[in-house]
Parts: sequence; C-alpha cells; structure tokens
Amino acid sequence: MNMFKVISRLAIATTFFVTALANAEVAVIVSASNGNSALDQDTISRVFLGKTSNFPDGSQAIPVDQNEGAASREAFNDKVLGKSSSQLKAYWSRLIFTGKGTPPKESGSDTEIKDLVAKNPNLIGYVDASVVDGSVKVVFKF
Amino acid sequence: MVLRKSGLAAAVLLACSPAAFSDDLNINGFMNVNAGNLSTEDISLDGYDDGVSFDIGTLAGLQISKQVNDTTSATVQLISRGSDNYSTEASWAYVTYAANENTDIRMGRLRTPFFYYSDFLEVGYAYNWVRPPSMVYRLDAFSSISGVDVTHRFAIGGMDGSVQAYTGRYNEDFTLSGDTYNIELRRAAGMVFSLNSGDFGTRLSYHQADITLDADPSAVPNPLAPPADARALDILASTGAAFGVGDEFIADEDKVKFYQASVSYDNGSTAVIAEWTALDQTTALLNDDSAYLISAAQRFGDATVHLTYTAAEDELESGVVGQIQKNAESKENSIILGMRYDYDSSTAFKVDIQQHDEELVNGAKGESGLLYNVGMSLVF
Repeated sequence: MNMFKVISRLAIATTFFVTALANAEVAVIVSASNGNSALDQDTISRVFLGKTSNFPDGSQAIPVDQNEGAASREAFNDKVLGKSSSQLKAYWSRLIFTGKGTPPKESGSDTEIKDLVAKNPNLIGYVDASVVDGSVKVVFKF
Repeated sequence: MVLRKSGLAAAVLLACSPAAFSDDLNINGFMNVNAGNLSTEDISLDGYDDGVSFDIGTLAGLQISKQVNDTTSATVQLISRGSDNYSTEASWAYVTYAANENTDIRMGRLRTPFFYYSDFLEVGYAYNWVRPPSMVYRLDAFSSISGVDVTHRFAIGGMDGSVQAYTGRYNEDFTLSGDTYNIELRRAAGMVFSLNSGDFGTRLSYHQADITLDADPSAVPNPLAPPADARALDILASTGAAFGVGDEFIADEDKVKFYQASVSYDNGSTAVIAEWTALDQTTALLNDDSAYLISAAQRFGDATVHLTYTAAEDELESGVVGQIQKNAESKENSIILGMRYDYDSSTAFKVDIQQHDEELVNGAKGESGLLYNVGMSLVF
C-alpha cells in the first residue's frame, strides 16, 4: 500500500519534470565552420559517452558539458543519453579510474558553451535553443 | 616495489582545490566506508567476525594523472586501505602511450584484469554491492602486477569492442588463512576480449603464469604431529611427501591458468550479470576451483534493489593426490540481497545481507550464517 503510494507519487513527479523539460527546447551545436551538417542521436551519444572521438566526416570531436545542475544538461542527459546523473557518474567512474576515459569537461552555461563551440570546429555542445545564433550550427534538436 | 607514504590526508586536501592546477592535471578520488558483522563465527567470510568491523572494507583512493604531451600521460593511483592499517600504497603507477587513436600502451604497475569488475574493483560507487562477491572475486593478492599492456579498441557494425593483452611479473608476500608465504609469478600474461552492443556486453579473458611458492615440507618433519607454528601449506607439502607424492605438492615454476567469462545486460533500469571463473594449476598445493555469480538489479528512481546467487567449488586431482587435497577441499554458496540508494550524483548508500552456506570446509561439512554489510561510497 505504502509502496504503491510512493510509486504513484514518483510517477506524478516524473510527469511534471518531463513536462517542464518539454517547454524548453535544447539544441546540440557545433561551430558554423564545422563540416558536418546533421548528426543523429546515436552519434551524439557515442561522442558524449567517449565511445568515439570523431565526427562522421573523420575530424576530431571533443564534447563539452554544461555545469552540473544546469537545466539543459539534465534535459540532454535524460533525452539524448537516456541516463540519470547518478547513472552517468557511475558510468564515468568505471572509466576514469581505469585510465580508459574522461568525462566531457564542464565548461559553463548556455552562452559560455555557445561562445566556446563557435570558436573551435572540433567542439560539440548543447544549449538552450534561445541562445543559438549564426556563429554556431544546430545539428540536432529535442 | 611498493611506494608507501602516509600523507593521504594532505593529498586529499590538495585535491579539494582543483582550480589551483593547470588544465592537463586530472585529480579524481573515491572512498568507501563499509561496516560488516557476521551472525555467527561458525562461518568465515571476508575477514568479518561477530563484532562490527569498519576497517576491513574501508578505503580511500586518489588518482592523479597528467598529460605529458599529445601521446603520453602518467597516472598514479594511491590507495589507503583499512585492512592494511590505512598505510598508503600505489596500486597503480603507469605511463600511457597512445600509439594511435585506438591503441594505448601502458607500462608500470597495473591492475590485473582478471574480472569484469577488476578495473574498478575498489571504486564502490561503480557497482551496487558493498563489495563484489568474494567467492568469485578472489586472487586479491594478485590484483596488481608490474608489467606492460596494450589495449586496442574497435567498432564493428553497431558494436564496440576492445582487446587487451598484458605481460608482467609479481613477487610479494601474501597471507592465506593467517599464514604468510612468498609468492612469485613469472611470465604472467593474459588476454581480455570484450564486446558491447547496445545494452548487452560480453567479456572473455584468459590468464596464465608460472608460480613459485615457498611451501617447505622440511619445516614439518611429521605431518601427523605438526609444530604449533607450522603453516598450513607446509603441512600439506609434508603430507604429500609422506605419501610419496611430494613432487606434486611443490610449486616451483608450475603453470597456473585462470579463465573468466561474463555476459551482462543493462538498459538503465534493469541490469543482469552472470560471471564464471575457473582456476586450473599443475601444482597440487593449491586446489583448482570454479566459481560463478548471477546477479539481477532493478532501479526504482534513486533506489536499486539487487539479488545475487554465487557459488564456488574446489576440483580435486585423482588418486592419492586428490585424497590429500581433500583435507583442504572447500565448497560454498551464498545468496546476497541488497539495496543501493543514490543520495546525490556522487554519493551512494548501500545495505547487503548475505546468506552464506559452507557446504564443505577442509573436506568436512561446514555451517551457514549471515553477513550484514552497510556502506557508503563516494567519488569526487
């Protein structure tokens, strides 16, 4: 009985959370000078999980994360990577301490990420769609 | 060679101000605070007794890595373990050379990649148990080795895989049932193959070495009346000699082989892993064995509930040798029920209850009992 209550509360909370996220659109961006035009979700998630370090055209891909707690980061983890922040921490702790990988560098908020990505064709990041301008190219939107 | 120092506290303090370091110096740490308690001392498991013990499973680790140039980096992992009076040792200390984008060569003191969880064996945050089941996760004494390894990553179709090969040697004292022995592993080498496809993963590994162990039959002139301070393996070696099979009970560059296979599935909310291992050696001094575990976990928000069955069994040689080995024969199984709670994205609390059944201890019927574990794991 109690357990059921907890579960239904969780379900309600989750619904609210997802609805809140759906309001803000997040864009995955690369520099306007990057040669790739559109990327699929699988490629983006492979880059952000360190499974590949290249864009489809063969150039080097370096993912950058927003700071922990940022709304865009929560949405990106949930929708694109399909993992909670605890699951991601556990995923990276398996790689960090084996020398087999390092998580994307935390590099600021929406505007800071956009400015960074604009300047370097090897970077890939995600920002709230409202900050996108001509200096960057949207390769995926959710 | 073990690097020792007891300045971990100072190092941890330093680690708290990462901004003070340049971009290419990475510092990461982990910590487990675990306590355990056995319901009865009729069984022995993981070194616990019927009083509460914190020291056995408590440890702190600090990893410092530095990118030296485009292709070379240096990594040191310092660990301070409660089971070792919190003295600090370098579990890992190696230089990585990226031969190309998909191939890394490491040289130095490495973690021996025996098991699925070997690479992050002590990073409690990375798994659900308070510690991986010790019936399968044995060979603790050899968990690090000095040598070289090569790891090559590849992708085929939608699958990611890697092949790792290593070679090295090991020479150190180790403690077995309270007795200390000197063990040397020469020409240690192994190969690990792993393949991941979506939520599925598989890992196969093979390891071998030539083992030399200083068991001494002459320390026990009469195996029926061993001296009070005689070591168990000295008595076993002497018993072998008394029955005319002394040569079998000597470990002098004898071949040891270890096999491992695991399959895993994890879709983010449901996870399953099955892992099987076997030890096969030419010396009769140590019994061959096989051990496996099957574990399932289900995540409910921040809580994960998991259930594991694990069993281990010795395999004896035939004839007189087997009759003597029977005196050290062991067969046991456990059921572990546990829960992990993710307090935040770098802290987890854990509770495990293990029902342990010793079917055979030194060839005789054993007892069963419970092990209670609580723990907290951090990464930073």
